[in-house]
Amino acid sequence: MEQSKKIAHQNSIIFALIHGAIYVPAAWLLKHRIFEQPVSIIIAIVPIITFAIFVYKLIKSYAVMDEVKQRVQFEAVVIGFALTVMLVMLLFLLSLCDLSSQGWFGYAQLPGYCWLFYFVGWFISKRKYGA
Amino acid sequence: MKNTIKVERAKKNWTQADLAKNIGISRQGLNSIETGKFIPSTVLALRMAKVFDTTVEILFQLDDEEA
Repeated sequence: MEQSKKIAHQNSIIFALIHGAIYVPAAWLLKHRIFEQPVSIIIAIVPIITFAIFVYKLIKSYAVMDEVKQRVQFEAVVIGFALTVMLVMLLFLLSLCDLSSQGWFGYAQLPGYCWLFYFVGWFISKRKYGA
Repeated sequence: MKNTIKVERAKKNWTQADLAKNIGISRQGLNSIETGKFIPSTVLALRMAKVFDTTVEILFQLDDEEA
């Protein structure tokens, strides 16, 4: 049981690293427009597939966690999601009055903020349950 | 919710790690249950009662304001 928990956890980390290793060069290739549009579309889809596999592995690793850790993860995701929605709403409202900074709050940065908010939620929930 | 996990643990001379291993959760998880920060599921409460050879009612009791 302990071994399967460890493997599930390791798998999610491995796929996170694979996703990161594919996302960065894919973004670089697309930014510099090295390939034609059809190839660019395929390049854009590849990191999405690796991310989907990562999310699948992450959910599988949640399934083998004990219930306290599951609650911590659940609350972290809820807090992270809520804060991300708040940020997106704020950015939309600010963009209506031409107050937006693409350099800091563009599509490229949003996944980073999303992860940041998840870790904020994780920290809060971990402190709450002391787990 | 109050609990007597610490008392039952002391009777068996078990550490948190020992009990956690017996019921299949992490030590930190058990600590949050023991300190009342997290209320366990029925399955986990029953598993805990089984390893202590007691009942769930002895392990967990409602606070006066909850009753």
